[in-house]
Amino acid sequence: MSKDILVIGGGIAGMQSSLDLADMGIKVHLVEKLPSIGGKMAQLDKTFPTNDCAI
Amino acid sequence: MPEKKEDIRIGVFLCHCGSNIAGYLNMEELAEFSEKLPHVTFVQRNLYTCSEGGINEIKKGIKEQNLNRVVVASCTPRTHEPLFRSSCGEAGLNPYLFEMVNIRDQCSWVHMKEQEDGTNKAKDLVRMGVAKAALLEPQESIMSEVQVRALVIGGGIAGMTSALALANRGYEGGLVEREEALGGLLNNLNKLGPTMIEADELVEEKTRSVTGNSNITVFTNARVTEVQGFIGKYKVDIETESGVKKIDIGVIIVATGGRPFVPEGLYNYDGKRVVTQLEMEKLLKAGLDPAIKNVVMIQCVGSRNEERPYCSRICCQTAVKNAMLIRELNPDAKVSILYRDMQMYGVENEEMFRDSKAKGVRYINYDPANPPQVEPDKVRVYHALLGRDMDLPADLVVLSTPLVSQEDAEVISRLLRVPVDENGFFLEGHVKLKPLDFATDGIFLCGSAHFPANIREAVAQGLGAASRASIPLSKGSVVVEPIISVLADEDACRGCGLCVALCPYGALEIQKTEKGRKVHVIDVACKGCGVCAATCYQHALSINSFTDQQIEAQLEAFLD
Amino acid sequence: MLDVGRHPNIELLAYSEVEKVEGEAGNFKVTIRRKGRYVEEDKCTGCGACAEKCPTVVSDAFNEGLGERRAIYSYFAQGIPSTHTIDADHCRQLNGKKCGICAKTCQAEAINFDQEDRILELDVAGIIIAAGYDVFDPSVIPEYRYREIANVVTAIEFERLLSASGPTGGHMDRPSDRAVEAEIAGLEKKAKKSQKAISKLEEKFNEPSAQFYKKYQAGEYKDDEDRKKWADKYTAHLAVTEPLEELKKQAEGFTVAKRLAFIQCVGSRDFRFYPFCSGYCCMHSIKEAIISHEHEPETTSSIFGMDIRAVGKGFEEYKIRGGNNSNITYVRGRVAEITEGPDNNPVVIYEDTRERKVKRQEFDMVVLATACAPIKGIAELAKTLGVELDKYNFIKTSSLSPVDSTTPGIFVCGCAESPMDVPESVAQASSAAERAAEIAFQMDLEKEKAVA
Repeated sequence: MSKDILVIGGGIAGMQSSLDLADMGIKVHLVEKLPSIGGKMAQLDKTFPTNDCAI
Repeated sequence: MPEKKEDIRIGVFLCHCGSNIAGYLNMEELAEFSEKLPHVTFVQRNLYTCSEGGINEIKKGIKEQNLNRVVVASCTPRTHEPLFRSSCGEAGLNPYLFEMVNIRDQCSWVHMKEQEDGTNKAKDLVRMGVAKAALLEPQESIMSEVQVRALVIGGGIAGMTSALALANRGYEGGLVEREEALGGLLNNLNKLGPTMIEADELVEEKTRSVTGNSNITVFTNARVTEVQGFIGKYKVDIETESGVKKIDIGVIIVATGGRPFVPEGLYNYDGKRVVTQLEMEKLLKAGLDPAIKNVVMIQCVGSRNEERPYCSRICCQTAVKNAMLIRELNPDAKVSILYRDMQMYGVENEEMFRDSKAKGVRYINYDPANPPQVEPDKVRVYHALLGRDMDLPADLVVLSTPLVSQEDAEVISRLLRVPVDENGFFLEGHVKLKPLDFATDGIFLCGSAHFPANIREAVAQGLGAASRASIPLSKGSVVVEPIISVLADEDACRGCGLCVALCPYGALEIQKTEKGRKVHVIDVACKGCGVCAATCYQHALSINSFTDQQIEAQLEAFLD
Repeated sequence: MLDVGRHPNIELLAYSEVEKVEGEAGNFKVTIRRKGRYVEEDKCTGCGACAEKCPTVVSDAFNEGLGERRAIYSYFAQGIPSTHTIDADHCRQLNGKKCGICAKTCQAEAINFDQEDRILELDVAGIIIAAGYDVFDPSVIPEYRYREIANVVTAIEFERLLSASGPTGGHMDRPSDRAVEAEIAGLEKKAKKSQKAISKLEEKFNEPSAQFYKKYQAGEYKDDEDRKKWADKYTAHLAVTEPLEELKKQAEGFTVAKRLAFIQCVGSRDFRFYPFCSGYCCMHSIKEAIISHEHEPETTSSIFGMDIRAVGKGFEEYKIRGGNNSNITYVRGRVAEITEGPDNNPVVIYEDTRERKVKRQEFDMVVLATACAPIKGIAELAKTLGVELDKYNFIKTSSLSPVDSTTPGIFVCGCAESPMDVPESVAQASSAAERAAEIAFQMDLEKEKAVA
C-alpha cells in the first residue's frame, strides 16, 4: 500500500498543499485539468497589498 | 583576498518580464552595454528568465559558454533568487556564484515615465552587479539537526488543535497556557455560530483529547520566560506553579489569541445595562432575563476609528448570532443592530445574516460621523438610510468591541524575536503566501494571535500551522543559506562583545580561545543581517557574499 | 509555482483528469486520464517556435477571450510545465486539412499528431480536492447588459487588461475602442489590397483614379470594358477607405479608460443566482481601482456595494488608503441597471441609499465583481470521489472539521470548499495537507506494527 497523496487542482491551494506534503517527504501526485498549473491566481496581474506579481 | 587565478567568465541574463521591464527600458541598449563590461563573456535577453525556458537558457549558458559567474537582471531577489541560485547549482555552478540585479522594482516600475533615465540606472545597476559577481566566492549550505519536539504557546482552540494535530502525526510537544484551564476565549462563550455548537462541550472534549494524549505535555498557569536558540534547537524556560521547567524543542507555534476590547467611557458602558458582546454571552449562558424586551446592539465600538483602524472581522457574526439567540429565548424581544457595514462574509455568515432577518432582527445603518447616543432608557440613532433620527427603547445595550492583541504579545515578540504589526498582532512572513509562518524559520502562528478569527478559521489555521511546523520536524534537519556572518579576521577581534549585544537573533557569543576572547557565530541562527559586521570597528566580522571588498567594488563601478 | 514543478516529491500531471476512484482512506485506487497534447512532454522545450508559425488563430481563454493565441500554444508564458499543447478542436492537421507546419518547425521533434490519451493508475492513501472555482457568467443578469455593452467587463477580464503580459500590455484600452482599432486594422489590410489593384490600372492608363472616375461618371468611356473594371475596382476601394477614414478620425479621440465603476455582488447576495457572499470581491475591486490609478493618475473610481466587506488583516486600512490616495469613492447601494450612453460610455443607474436619490452616472468602463461559483463538473467529480456537496455545490465540511469532506481520507481546501481569498486558501491548503499527512502517518504506524 502506498502512502502517496493525490491532489486535485493546481491552483494556489493545490500547489500549497502539494508543497507542504512534499516537504514532509510524502510523495504527491498533482492533477491539473488545464495544460499548466497556476489556476486563477496566475491570471491576476498583481496582488494586494504588496503589489507583487501573482506567481 | 587571495589573488584569483581562474579566468572569470560572467554571463548576464536580462529579463524582459513580458513588458513589465522591456516596455519601459531599452533592453537592446542595455544588452549592448552589458557585453562591454569587464569579464562579461555572454549576454542574453529572455522574455521571462524565470520561466522553464529561461532557466534552461541559464543552464545552457553555464555548460556551453563555460560561465563561472551568473548575473540575472530582473525582478526582486525575494521572489526568484532561490530559483536562479538552485538552477546554477543544477548546472554544476556553485549557487553562490550568482548575483541578482533588480531592474524591475528599481528601474522600470519607478521610472516608467523616464525611459532614458531608467535605462541608464539599469546600466549602473548591472555594472555594479557584474563588478560584485567577479569577486564572489563559492559557499556551502549549512546543515543543522532538529530536535523532533514542538512547543505550542497558547491553549485556546487554535493552540489545542495544533498540538493535537502534531501529536496525531507522532510528534511530541508541550502546550503552555497562562490560565488555569485550557480553552482560551471559548471558556467565556455560550454557543458558536453558525451551527450553535455549545462552547463548553467543545472545550471539554478538546481538553480531554489534549490532556489524554501521551504525546502532549500540558503546562497550565504557566508562562514562557526565556527562549534561547534557533530553529531545531530551542531551549525554553517555562515558569509554572511548581517551578521553572526547562525544555528542548525544535519548533514553536504561537497561538496566544486575542483579548476583547473593554469600551471604558464609550456609549455609557457600565457592564450592567450597557454590556459588551462577551458579557452578553454570559447573560445568554445564564438564561436571559425574561424582562428584557428591547435590545440594541452597536457595531464597531472601538474599531474602524483613528485609534484602531482595523475591522475586527468577527464582531458582526457574533452580534447576529447573539441577536438570534435573544429572539429565541425571549421571542417577543425586539433586537436592533446598528451597523456601518455588515461584515457577513462567505457562505455561512451571509446565510446566518439572511436567517436573522427572517427571524425578525432589525438592522439600522448608522453613520460614524453621527454615531448613536445611548440614553438611560433608549438609544437615539440617525438612520442613515431613512435620513432621520430614531429613538429605540432599550433595556439592554450591547456593544460589539474588537479583539485586540494580548497584553503579553510584546513580551512573546521580544522573547521569540518575531515582529508584531501596528495593531500589536503578530506579523506573518508574507500576507498572501506565508500566512502561518513567521519570517524567522522555525516559528509559526495561528488563530487570533495573528488576527481575529472565528472558530472555523481558528481550527483551520491550527491544523495549517501544525502542517508548516511539521516540515522541519519530519526532515529532522534544516539547511540554512550560507550568507551569514563569519569571523573573517580572528586576530582583529578583541572580544569586546559589542556585536553580541546588538545581534537581534542571538547568533553571536564570546568564547575563550587560545588567542583570548573571540566572538563565535552560531551559523544556523544567523540571518545575515549585517549589523555585527557594520558595528565591528576592527572589521573582524564579514558577511558572506557581502564582503567589504565586494561592496567597495560595487561602489567603484557605480562611480566609474 | 516553479517550486511545484521542480520538487522531487511532486509528480505533476497537467492536462489530466480523475476518472475513477475506488477504495477507502489509506487505500484509494485512482484512475487518471492524461489527455493527449499531441506534443511529447519530455521533448518540448517550450521555445514557442511552433506557435509563431502556426497559421490558426484562436481566442485565448487565459486572457478571458480578450486576446488571441494559436492552435498550438502554451497556456500562459510562465506556465508550468512549459510544454506546448495542440488544441485539437482548431488544429488544421488534426481536422483533416493539410498543414503540419508546427511539426516542420519544431527542432526538438516534439510534435506527435498520433499521441493518444493515456490512462494512469495510482495507489494513494489520501486525496485533497483543490479544484477551485468558476467565475460567474454575468450575461444572465439582463439589467447589467454584459456582452451587449462592450465596455462592461468582469473583474477577471479587467485584471487581464491591467496586466503587462495581457492583451493590452497593461493599458486600460476600452473594449469598444479595441474593437474599432481591430476593424481599422482589418480595413487597412483590405485597403492595401484594393490600392494595389487600382495602382496597376492608374499606371496602365497613366491617370489618377479620382480624375478618371469623375469622367467615367459623366458618361465618358461608355462601352470600355477595361475602364468599367477600373471604375468597379475604384468604387470598391472607396467602399473600404471611406469608412476607414471615418474610423480613424473616431480613433483619434480614444484615450484609456479613466472613469471607472466597480459593481459589487454581481451574482452574489442575489436570490436569483447565489445567495452567499463571495468574500474576496470587495477587496479585489479596491485593488483594481488602486492599480488603475497607479497606471493612470487621473483615474477616478466609484465602487458600488451594499456593504464593503474589508474583513482581513490590513484590509480596512487598504480600503481607506484607496479612498484617500487613489480617487476611490465608495457608494452604498446596489446598481439597478446599466445602459449605454454616447461614445460607448456605460451609464450606471442606482440609488444612493445614503442620499436616498436615484442617480445616473456615466463612466468610461464598468467592472462587474462577479461571484465565486462552484466549478462546472463539480457534481461529477463529487460523485467520482463519493463526497457530499452543500446546497450551493461546494464540497461539504463542518466548522470543527473545516477541511474534512464527508468521506474519510478525502480533504478539501480553497474555493472548492467555499469562497475565500488567497491567504485563506493558502492557510487552508496547509490544513488539508496536515489532515492528509495524518493518514500517511497512520500508514507508517501500521507498517511498523506489521513488521513487529
